[in-house]
Amino acid sequence: MATVTVHRPVVATPGRGGGRVTGTGTLLRFMLRRDRIRFPAWTLGLALLMGYFATALETFVESPADLEGLTAFSGSPAGALFGGPGFGFDDLTIERFLAGQYGLYVAIGAGLMGLLTVVRHTRAEERSGRAELIRASVVGRHAQLTAVLVLAATMAAVVAILIGGLMASRGYDLGGSLLFGASVGAVALVFAGVAAVTAQLSEYPRAASGTAGALLGAAFVLRGLGDMAAVQGSGASWLSWLSPVGWSQQTAPYVHDRWWPLVISLAVTVTAAAAGYALSARRDFGAGLVPPRPGPARAAAWLDGPLALAFRLHRASLIGWSVGLLAAGLAYGSFTQPLLDGFTDAPEDMVAIMGGAENLLDGYLGTMGLTMALAVGVYAVLAMQTLRAEESEGRAESVLATAVSRSAWIGSHLVVTAVGVPWLLLVAGAGMGVGAAVSTGDAGSFGGLLLGHVAHTPAVWLLLAAAALLYAVVPRMLPLIWVVLGYGLIVGYFAPILEIPTSAGWLSPFAHVGEHPLEDVSVVAVLVLTGLAAVTAQVARLVFRRDVVGRT
Amino acid sequence: MTTAIDIQHIDKHFGRTKALDGLDLQVETGTVHGFLGPNGAGKSTTIRILLGLLRADRGRVRLLGGDPWADAVRLHRRLAYVPGDVELWPNLTGGEAIDLFARLRGGTDPVRRDELCQRFDLDPRKKGRTYSKGNRQKVALIAALASDVDLLLLDEPTAGLDPLMEAVFQECIREACAAGRTVLLSSHVLAQVEVLADQISIIRQGRIVETGSLTELRHLTRTSVDAIVDSPAASLATLAGVHGLQDTNGHVRFEVDGDHLAVVIRRLGDLGVRGLTVRPPTLEQLLLRHYGDEPARHGAVA
Repeated sequence: MATVTVHRPVVATPGRGGGRVTGTGTLLRFMLRRDRIRFPAWTLGLALLMGYFATALETFVESPADLEGLTAFSGSPAGALFGGPGFGFDDLTIERFLAGQYGLYVAIGAGLMGLLTVVRHTRAEERSGRAELIRASVVGRHAQLTAVLVLAATMAAVVAILIGGLMASRGYDLGGSLLFGASVGAVALVFAGVAAVTAQLSEYPRAASGTAGALLGAAFVLRGLGDMAAVQGSGASWLSWLSPVGWSQQTAPYVHDRWWPLVISLAVTVTAAAAGYALSARRDFGAGLVPPRPGPARAAAWLDGPLALAFRLHRASLIGWSVGLLAAGLAYGSFTQPLLDGFTDAPEDMVAIMGGAENLLDGYLGTMGLTMALAVGVYAVLAMQTLRAEESEGRAESVLATAVSRSAWIGSHLVVTAVGVPWLLLVAGAGMGVGAAVSTGDAGSFGGLLLGHVAHTPAVWLLLAAAALLYAVVPRMLPLIWVVLGYGLIVGYFAPILEIPTSAGWLSPFAHVGEHPLEDVSVVAVLVLTGLAAVTAQVARLVFRRDVVGRT
Repeated sequence: MTTAIDIQHIDKHFGRTKALDGLDLQVETGTVHGFLGPNGAGKSTTIRILLGLLRADRGRVRLLGGDPWADAVRLHRRLAYVPGDVELWPNLTGGEAIDLFARLRGGTDPVRRDELCQRFDLDPRKKGRTYSKGNRQKVALIAALASDVDLLLLDEPTAGLDPLMEAVFQECIREACAAGRTVLLSSHVLAQVEVLADQISIIRQGRIVETGSLTELRHLTRTSVDAIVDSPAASLATLAGVHGLQDTNGHVRFEVDGDHLAVVIRRLGDLGVRGLTVRPPTLEQLLLRHYGDEPARHGAVA
């Protein structure tokens, strides 16, 4: 176990308790100035997402029968897993469905907003060295954390008001709308508090947001298990009460309209923030609570070329993703049996609507394959962003000043990432397979699951190659690749509900391979996507070779 | 003598900014060539063109007999580069980075590497992110100096090093020179260039304004004379090449152009000198003479 050294700052306590938060106001104004785009983008973005769900649903639901059709899925354990406990779904209204099914995703978005905002203005600033200049001026030790917590709370409040107002403006019950908005804001608040703690633990902003993000993921899974149990009427429904996302969902807007679960959220936020303050006072500026250890004095023998270097730079992220996807695969795989139970207990005609019990299993496993492919797509895009950082932070120049050509440099990173893609899909598929086998007591679906996952490789490759091309042509535009990924997600999940035409769905690279085991793997699609990816990557290399280093 | 670097009349634009404007530079094999200029004069741009990281808009560049843009990889096996601002991978140790750079370049002498680590007092087991600027600089310097290459391209390599390390650096450059290596040393640490360089080129606003050995350049400058004399010294002011004469109760201060020095000193002797300090021009003065008059026009891109 790593020893935790505690450095007590040798500073006299300023008189009358003043001084620790000196400068908070100035810092807050500075943060608002820095986030003048980010603040409205997050808050408006979340509100618009909710507005989009509401508009789409109202367009889709034309008769009470349509509403009943929705209940069939959403009232099931699967619906509970990906939506919520389904309060009032026996007497469904549009607003109940919006809050009960889609509210979860807006709340997760709000959680991300909260934790990313806090890490951005605390640990990331310390890491970059900018905070040192700030702390050297007349600024109290706790001013930065205080300012960012106020900022995050403001963002949460704005999200709450925007969403509450939006829902009320559509004619839904005012009290329920405000409560729903507040429940979304509460998740942002809790995870801002969580990030205030994780930002103290490690020296690196990515570890801080990664830890907080993992906790957000755990909150999602916990309430998923709890809500499934609640819908089935048996099992550990109390698990939902361990999750900050669960507290927000337990307010049951438009049904019970109870505010008191948000008191838990608030209490946890305050406790976490207090822990953040306490921890920050126990560590040195710029340091984590876990001290760094010396590394090897010499490079390993294999570290001898651009490919080895690219692997070395991506290794930590590959390990992290492998562990994360394996865990996610196991968790989602273990949901398989409860899902099936939920449907066998259901009336026969309802099972028929979902395509029969046999197809339901395949459908679930196939959808999970797509989910994992999208997650691995995130990995691929992040890997390309590492490349951009290598260039903008000046390390690429040092490498290119040695006997490494430009096309070898970009090529080595592409190869490492491209090999990582099927590997991660394999790991996720194996996790799912083991989880499903343990859950159902039948390992028959294992092979199909592996194939269903790995078959998405060419789609992710094409995404990766497109990212490389964007990067080679205009590095600044690399973030645009998220649009492709987001589009793939919307088409993959919501195409049937949102009535996206097939021709438009066709544009998504993820829409062609087929969601095995529900659908057959299209060999043509695999070959065409692989070919397209190879050509695109080659073009990216050629473009990059002609360009100069130090582009912006 | 052969030429390691031969740049003829190159231009380089960044958008509308003209970074290099007809720059010429010749560096002979086996010499240390000082490359002096203020920030933004175009030193780093020139070095990046020599590395093939940038391409000149116009003109001809030959490096070790090759074209730095087209033959970049082949040429990079024969040279080592130290930037003025070294960036390392945060999660690789200094030792790993040194080995990596050397291997990417095509090999290193492990004994020499360890010896250099000791001389520069670098702990190679620390992670890149924990190094101070000076220590990051040492990592790049050790990687470059441990490599068996023909040419060292050093772009303000000792920024952030303390005087002790500066001395070690100078020692290492002398050794490299003795081993027959060519060094292009860009700097604004004038004392360093004065001590090390065989030849000096001064760059200003993208062009070379002065080039030659330090002795040759001194001809172009004024020597400062500070003397205590018995007789009135006003007559000195009438001599050719004497500037800014001040005489306060027998304490005379003036500057004299290099090529008139002999005549002036002879006359000074006749005045009954009791104390005399003659200082050669420092590179500061050289630079001041070239840039001091137009401080506002230093806006070009580095």
